[in-house]
Amino acid sequence: MKFFKNKILLLLVALLAVQTSCDDGFAEINTNPQAAINIDPNFQMSFVQLRTSGGRYENWRAGLIYSSMMIQHMSALCGYWTGDKYTYNGGYSSSLIDRAYNEQVKDMQDLINTLESGTAGDQTMLGMARIWRVVIFHRLTDMYGDIPYSEAGKGFLESIDFPKYDSQESIYMDMLNELEQAVGQIGDGGFGSADFIYGGDAAQWKKFGNSLMLRLAMRLSEADPSTAQAWVSKAVAGGVMDSNGDDAFIQHTNGPEGINRNGIGEVLDASNGFGDSCPRLSATMVDLLKETDDPRLQIFGLPAANTGEYAGMPNGLDETLIQDNPTGTSVDDFSRINPAIVLVESPMMFMTYAETEFLLAEAAVRGWGASDAAGHYAAGVTAAMNMWAHYDASLALDAGAVADYVAANPLDEANALEDIGEQYWLATFLNEYEAFSNWRRTGFPNLTPVNYPGNVTNGQIPVRLATSPGEGSLNPNFQEAATRQGLGTDFSSHMSVPVWWDK
Amino acid sequence: MRNFLLSLLCLLVTTATLSAQNRVTGNITDEDGVPLIGVNVLEAGTSNGTISDFDGNYELSVADGSSLEFSYTGYEVQTVVVGSQSVIDMVMAEGVNLDEVVVTALGIERKKRALAYSVTEIDGGDVAVAKEINVGNALAGKVAGVNVSNPSTGPGGSTRIVIRGNGNIAGNNQPLIVVDGVPINNDNLGSAGMWGGQDWGDGLSSLNSDDIENISVLKGNTASALYGYRASNGVILVTTKRGKKGQGLQVELNSNFQAETFVDNYDFQREYGHGLNGAKPTTEAEAFAQGLQSWGGRLDGSSVIQFDGQSRPYSDAGDNLDRFYRTGKTWTNNVSLSGGGENVGYRFSMTNLDNQGIMPNSGLDRNTFSAAVNGSSGKWLGSLTGTYVKEEAKNRPRLSDSPGNANYTAWSLPPSININDLKGDPNKLGADPDTGFELQFNDNVFVTNPWWGTHQFAANNEKDRLYGNASLGYEFIPGLILQGKVGIDRFTERRTNLTPYGTAFSNLGGINESNRTVQEVNLEATLRYNTDINENIGLDVIVGGNQQKNEDETLGANGSNFNVPFLHNVKNAANQSVSYGFSRYQVNSLFGQAEVSLFNSLYLTATVRQDWFSQLTDPSGRDSENSILYSSFGAAYDLAEGLGDGLPDFIDFAKLRASWAEVGGATDPFQLGLNYGIVGQGHLGIPLGSISNGSVPAAALVPSTSKELEFGADLRMFKGKVNLDVAYYNRETVDGILSASISSTSGYGSKTVNVGKISNKGIELLLTLNPVRTTNFRWNVSINYAHNDNEVVSLLTPENDGEEIRLEESRTRNAYIHLVEGLPYSQVMGFSYVRDGSGNIQLDDDGLPQQGELMAFGTGVHPNSLGINNQFSIGDFNVGFLVDIKTGGKIYNATNAYGYFRGLHKATLEGRESGIGAVLPENVEDYYQRIAFGISEEFIDDADFAKLREVVIGYRVPRRLLQNAPVSDVTLSFAARNLLILWSKTDNIDPESTYTNGNGQGLEMFGVPVTRSYGLNLNVKF
Repeated sequence: MKFFKNKILLLLVALLAVQTSCDDGFAEINTNPQAAINIDPNFQMSFVQLRTSGGRYENWRAGLIYSSMMIQHMSALCGYWTGDKYTYNGGYSSSLIDRAYNEQVKDMQDLINTLESGTAGDQTMLGMARIWRVVIFHRLTDMYGDIPYSEAGKGFLESIDFPKYDSQESIYMDMLNELEQAVGQIGDGGFGSADFIYGGDAAQWKKFGNSLMLRLAMRLSEADPSTAQAWVSKAVAGGVMDSNGDDAFIQHTNGPEGINRNGIGEVLDASNGFGDSCPRLSATMVDLLKETDDPRLQIFGLPAANTGEYAGMPNGLDETLIQDNPTGTSVDDFSRINPAIVLVESPMMFMTYAETEFLLAEAAVRGWGASDAAGHYAAGVTAAMNMWAHYDASLALDAGAVADYVAANPLDEANALEDIGEQYWLATFLNEYEAFSNWRRTGFPNLTPVNYPGNVTNGQIPVRLATSPGEGSLNPNFQEAATRQGLGTDFSSHMSVPVWWDK
Repeated sequence: MRNFLLSLLCLLVTTATLSAQNRVTGNITDEDGVPLIGVNVLEAGTSNGTISDFDGNYELSVADGSSLEFSYTGYEVQTVVVGSQSVIDMVMAEGVNLDEVVVTALGIERKKRALAYSVTEIDGGDVAVAKEINVGNALAGKVAGVNVSNPSTGPGGSTRIVIRGNGNIAGNNQPLIVVDGVPINNDNLGSAGMWGGQDWGDGLSSLNSDDIENISVLKGNTASALYGYRASNGVILVTTKRGKKGQGLQVELNSNFQAETFVDNYDFQREYGHGLNGAKPTTEAEAFAQGLQSWGGRLDGSSVIQFDGQSRPYSDAGDNLDRFYRTGKTWTNNVSLSGGGENVGYRFSMTNLDNQGIMPNSGLDRNTFSAAVNGSSGKWLGSLTGTYVKEEAKNRPRLSDSPGNANYTAWSLPPSININDLKGDPNKLGADPDTGFELQFNDNVFVTNPWWGTHQFAANNEKDRLYGNASLGYEFIPGLILQGKVGIDRFTERRTNLTPYGTAFSNLGGINESNRTVQEVNLEATLRYNTDINENIGLDVIVGGNQQKNEDETLGANGSNFNVPFLHNVKNAANQSVSYGFSRYQVNSLFGQAEVSLFNSLYLTATVRQDWFSQLTDPSGRDSENSILYSSFGAAYDLAEGLGDGLPDFIDFAKLRASWAEVGGATDPFQLGLNYGIVGQGHLGIPLGSISNGSVPAAALVPSTSKELEFGADLRMFKGKVNLDVAYYNRETVDGILSASISSTSGYGSKTVNVGKISNKGIELLLTLNPVRTTNFRWNVSINYAHNDNEVVSLLTPENDGEEIRLEESRTRNAYIHLVEGLPYSQVMGFSYVRDGSGNIQLDDDGLPQQGELMAFGTGVHPNSLGINNQFSIGDFNVGFLVDIKTGGKIYNATNAYGYFRGLHKATLEGRESGIGAVLPENVEDYYQRIAFGISEEFIDDADFAKLREVVIGYRVPRRLLQNAPVSDVTLSFAARNLLILWSKTDNIDPESTYTNGNGQGLEMFGVPVTRSYGLNLNVKF
């Protein structure tokens, strides 16, 4: 019995002992051995750049299915290629904005916050990061109009769960200021090899910042010409891209994981195991290329499987309608996209020297701080022809052929804006967001809309992408922005409402 | 630990002959002299006992000076001092057994009359004959206040059990599952969401119904209060079968076969075939592009081209679902050995369950081995139980979204297409015979050929699970027992998920292999003292401590793009990656319970428990609120004892009870603080790093708490012919920890917060009637009714002022499950029609309906339930049937939304010949497609139903026929489940067709159809 009495005592002592240290070692137990509390800014910048290139999800939906079709770079018979027919698929339409804040903006804001606080990194890094933030946001506002900007991506940093929607006008004004300040910050330091765009080259980043400023400034040409002119002049004076070596792009690789691959390639590259076989080159683009004997036809597409000839497929057809189509009654009567430029390891373009030259040509035409429109135009066309060497050395065009084309197709001063618009449109093939934006601003090239049964735009080419009803119903700040922009309750109708700069 | 096991072992091998034994035999009859079978005969104060046989005979060895207790449901308990008697015959009088004991928290057996809260017990036999693979599903309709949902996920899928309504805004709303006194894991291992996926099963699916002695449901907070932070959703206590001491060796065989067919609610149109704009396709390309469109011409028997270039009659191709789904079969065979010596009881059992699901090529194989030994030696008491389960699931069906989901395709085929024409290569179903690639039948690569989905995809998991516990107790003096217990539940889940080479949406394929190990260990020590201080005052006190440690680790190898075609292994993949996940937490607890009984009529109980959580401990070592104290108080008053003759004669027993408790819940580990992770293997040799939190982490969290007030009464009248148990409860759960959906533009999809208040009030009623009780005919009706009034009172906190929280979203992206302030949990949200002032649907200029506002249409969780269980005993037959009725819930019928979109729903027939208003006949699909994915109101249905849930007809072979047979007892039963839908309002789908067992209930989309099963059960005892 005594033995057991001792045991009771022992138990009570044990219980007491437990009580005095009931949470011993708990802090260590609750430390995640798989994660870090801090991150090297280099790692995060690399991540954000790569993520901005985008995944298959939004490149497929917002990029290809909507943008490439609406602006008639490509066409498709398949019903789910809704941009070809101006029909509405909410998830496709909002795919870019659905993904971008989580995958791009969140880490972008966090990185800038770290750099601003001075706990890591340097001022040059901060300048480059701020430029990159403009890359992300201008694309979003161009596609969707008023969006969360000043409060966006700050769910942790500032506990903002439901960011307000800033007007596109205010976003643009701020982005232009940001670019000016950011370029001014760039000096010594930077991201070095962690920077996939320029390998840390400060001079190239400055040119990129100014070129982006030029793009953004010109975007305001219709909505606010005087502001546009002032910023165009400032950008030109600051120094913009001056060779294809300044092109801003990310080189992708085939794996090892999804993040490494080109999102467009993940849709179209059949050699990687998935190839959406629906899209063809649009008749609009092939006809234009053929008209001028443009050597890029061979770069952009393949001869049609059935005929061995280059042919573009008209937009707005399906398997039934194509049977009455005079130029071909089967999808295989038309040219596929050249697989060599849509591989999973293909580069993704953000901005090119060619575009910059076209913007300068336009500035010259408008008399906004630049001159020699024809010269810039010719340089732009040349650069646009040569840029495909970034995709594969075998796609480099013969210099003579390029020169011949340029000589044969000089800028027509009487229709300068149209010529520039057409070339800009060709130069932004596979940068479909930018092509869609510039077309909306300039109206060039002249595109003939289709009128497919069941379209939601009354037979007009959509002029924006609709955000998701999910965000609309979740974020209490959405309604105010919708009202401000004249967006109704039916999200499919939003695609007919121009954004602010689209006058 | 080692010493502990050694001691236990010693205990078990000791065959102590401590006191003289007397053998007692006798015969037990009712007042009419009819032998009573199955009467419990127990040596008072011990677990030594037996039951009477067919002729009412029993035999038991008891110690000197002991008493025998005879108990039988519906009869009064009798106690007889053995003395020198060796034959004790007993005549049982009808009446009420007031000394019933029930299993309560921590496995403590307490007298039912002393309980201040409601406990419902279910006999193991009630879930063993009309079997469900997941035993949780067998509880449906049987217990008031227990809401069981059986998602449409195929065999071995998860079940969802919610007791007294959802209280937690996020996280777990399901009860704690305790087997033989030790908690086991009931995590869902993965379920389908809006983008598809499979249900990978849950912890309950490992339980074997043949081994269950009984199930005790602790519904309220007071009942479960001793479980502290794990108690807020109630507790289900499972007691497994044991060998009885003093009983000879018994071999029992149970063999069960069930056939299963899908409940056919499919009623889509059979008048118009594949095509678009009212026209039949004329080319192969057109037929391919329109392979999923039923907007073609009227079926007229003409020869029309199909996706494969073949022309076939343009007519009703017949019932594709009937061709596709097969008859499922489940064999369950159990053999058990049980018995006991003077001081030891043991039971060993082996069960094999072999299932083929209705989905072709899917099934489940489960082998269960269990052993239980309990014994005593002098003052030592010990027990050791262990169960090993091996569960192999083959091809868990894909659900919801289309990729790989054969249900989706089978339900979406136009009436003119025969699903058998999609079979392709007979040796490789779903494949193009020439290429071996998926035979595509439409231009949407994501809508997979159903045969390819079932036969070429693989989604297998294999679970090895071991759970059990060892306990050792010592009785110092009568009533004072010290007990130590070690419980473990550990399983590894090996999973293979294959997208095969040649799949249309992923030509080169991919594979994910993973191995997950989950473990929970509980160490518990309790000291209990139970004594009568004097004849009027009794005391029962328990103090103890518990340490719970959990770990969860997953290692995965993933590959995509197979180099060698159709060679499906990771090393053959061009892209390979590894994944790793880890979490752990620990909770330490101290607890105590005291019960005082006064004058045998008033029982007062109080409990207290303090929990310390690692999950709430700041990893940086800063001070954080990481512990919480819980308490409960209860009182039960026995009116019959207390008032004596003050009660009318017809009342046998009347008890009033009241209780209050505060319990809680915790949260996942590693949620405090922003973390960064290295992403993948870098890019071009450069490392990539990013924020790993998808949800905004909280700066500090406090554990959620739940407070419940419960009143109840227990009335037994007319000698047990009428029994009524009523309960009213009012529970408020505050500070739930959840990931609240926030705008994705914040950078995060959600935020981890402590928010809100949810209230659950309700009543539960259990009425048991025994109107007829004669020798050859007995009729027993048990009616359980429950009403739960749930309200999300507030979601507000200063930093989170959203009024709604999104729990789920449908793949159609226009229906959601929200929590909305002021409304019940799990609101089904949809977009309404735009209507004019008088409520008429307003059309736009093109004559199409327009999408209006997002509105709440009602809760996806039924607030009302009624179960009516009738049992008849007629001679050697017994017949039971259970009707299960639930009302008040809603469901979003995505099958119908797709039916509108594709022209399959019968409603879409209107206007095909004549148009609808301004919409021309050839454009009528614009009208319906606008509704399909725009106006979800059209597809939100009342999910009310009444089902004939269970029918059992049993025949027990009369003893006289077995006199010369080597067997002692043979029972043959017919059992059927879900035999009939008596009433429902959802067209095309079963009203219980959700695809997830998560909190967001009320979304349906292309799950495995609900099934009806019927079969035979043979039980033989030797």
